[in-house]
Amino acid sequence: MKVLIIEDEKAMAKEMCVFLEKAFYLCDIAYTAGQANILMEENQYDFILLDLGLPDKDGLQVLSDSKKICPNASYIILTARGDLEDRIRGLDLGADDYLAKPFSLLELQSRMQAISRRKSGNNDPVIELGEFSVDLNKRSVLHQQQGIELSRKEFDLLSYMLLHKNRPLTRFQLSEHIWGNFSDDDNDSNYIDVHIKNIRKKMVVFAPVDWLQTLRGIGYKIKI
Amino acid sequence: MKLLTKLTLFITLSKLIIVVLFVVLLPLLVKRVSFQYTNYYLEQQKKKVLAVIQKNGVDYYLQGDSAYGSYTMLKEEYISLSPVSNAVVRDTIETSQRIVENDTLNYRLLTHQLNYGHQKYLLEIGKTTATIGQYNTLLQRFTLYVLIGLIAISILVDLVYTYLLLKPLTKIVKTKLLDRKFPFKESLFPVKTSTSDFKYLDRSLISLMEKIHGAFDKEREFTSNASHELMTPISILQTNIENLMLDEDISEYQQEKISGMMKTLNRLKKIVHSLLYISRIENDQFTKKDTVNIHNLVLEVNDELSHRMEMKSIEFTNTISSRVNLNQVNHDLLFQLIYNLINNAIRYNKEQGSITVNDYYAPGQPYTLLIIDSGIGIRQEELGTIFNRFKKSAQTDGEGYGLGLSIVKSIALYHGFEIKVSSEFGKSTTFCITIPTDLILL
Repeated sequence: MKVLIIEDEKAMAKEMCVFLEKAFYLCDIAYTAGQANILMEENQYDFILLDLGLPDKDGLQVLSDSKKICPNASYIILTARGDLEDRIRGLDLGADDYLAKPFSLLELQSRMQAISRRKSGNNDPVIELGEFSVDLNKRSVLHQQQGIELSRKEFDLLSYMLLHKNRPLTRFQLSEHIWGNFSDDDNDSNYIDVHIKNIRKKMVVFAPVDWLQTLRGIGYKIKI
Repeated sequence: MKLLTKLTLFITLSKLIIVVLFVVLLPLLVKRVSFQYTNYYLEQQKKKVLAVIQKNGVDYYLQGDSAYGSYTMLKEEYISLSPVSNAVVRDTIETSQRIVENDTLNYRLLTHQLNYGHQKYLLEIGKTTATIGQYNTLLQRFTLYVLIGLIAISILVDLVYTYLLLKPLTKIVKTKLLDRKFPFKESLFPVKTSTSDFKYLDRSLISLMEKIHGAFDKEREFTSNASHELMTPISILQTNIENLMLDEDISEYQQEKISGMMKTLNRLKKIVHSLLYISRIENDQFTKKDTVNIHNLVLEVNDELSHRMEMKSIEFTNTISSRVNLNQVNHDLLFQLIYNLINNAIRYNKEQGSITVNDYYAPGQPYTLLIIDSGIGIRQEELGTIFNRFKKSAQTDGEGYGLGLSIVKSIALYHGFEIKVSSEFGKSTTFCITIPTDLILL
């Protein structure tokens, strides 16, 4: 998967690049709309991550121009301007998703994956997790053809950890994913613990769940 | 009372007083004038009499008699000339009675001592008081009619002129003061007037409002810009820290530290987010076009927060009438408002406490929404400041960041709701939201 990051904050662009490369994406960086144009003409991208606050051109203009050069890429708009107007106009112009700065890199990857899944027509393979299999499209967890009832939030939590498997995830990162802007770090960390406890309780009946590790004082990790 | 009304009243009243005074004083005045005139008339008669006596001599009139008297048939006027002894009589004009041919009549009487040769004569010229007053009533009535006519015309002219004169002021008050709601958005045009005072007032008001508007704009801009500018470094920090967390070489100790940093950064992010949110509400960046069912809205919030209530075993009761809808509101903002209030009700509640949301509505009355918790309560002295930004209660142990209720207040203001809080310390807190009737849709 090839990603073009169009972002004028160099430190930000580099961090995004480092993160995405760890997740096996190939990244190019453009700091201006001009640089982005050159890169887009020379390369094919699967994803274009576009910061709307570029120094040389209006972000939404860049978006509509880019759509002409790279019509097949998926676009995610990144902006510090949280305006609803911008968001709606961005999505109208054909952006696939929108992330308000500051955003979590985990969230970015999760959105990118969701777009990929959508574009590939929901043909994700069923993911094996120990003795369980997780079907992201049907939102179901199976153990030898037997379904395990997880609540909506519990499934969200499990699939998020699965997406970021083998990475330590803090409680805040998890609660931010589940509750978005409504997450509350002082309280929700405890609720994450409760949800994880429930997931373990529901699944351990069928098979060991030692792949779900607790990191003391930090959070959780799915290790497979 | 409006200036125009006051002036109208004053003009009308003052003129009415003049009319009344005139009506009271007119008989006296007319009487006085006619007496004055009679006095003058008698003096003139005296001069004429003296002139003819001078010309013709006294004897011509006396014709051998000792005295002369002459009067008209109706005895309205008379002239008499009679010799007097040496006593000196001064010239007088007075009202007194005389008997003329057995009739006792009231006369205005001029007495004059006339020396002719060695003989002294007393000249009397009289006019009956009845004739003096004969035109008075007519004169009074006529004068009164003319006066009332003139006063009516003058009141009319005064009122029209006052109205025209004050028209610019009325316009200034209407366009600059009454119709304007803070924050002032539309630009102002000076009111056309030739009165320099009004021009000055108008100009001062415009410049004052522009200054206020400018200052308010600057503040909004600052909050908005500062928040945006803070977002970028926070974003960079967040990505940095997240990448650091993923580093395989770091120890558990370092991971824990990084997790702590994330937590602090998250807190900073929340504060900036909230400030931006408030600034966006104050900048009118939310449309008010949704229709919201309050009962369902509370259910939505409950759905989002039920896990927190479960943690504390809080009993939640929603007795909101499901038929009340709010019109021309912003759904997301109302959600946030209810969310923040219920979230606080959970946060500051006790284990196994309760939260009740109910409403009160009578047709024609504003709709009232109550959120009651059985929590730790708020001290009386803190009730007045809980909606202030960054105001944290003494009992919250550093939880929260003191913007939740500011957001609630901003949203309420934005929709024209009134929000009040009452509390019994240690027992319960009640938030009462009053919603204007025109937003209610049944």
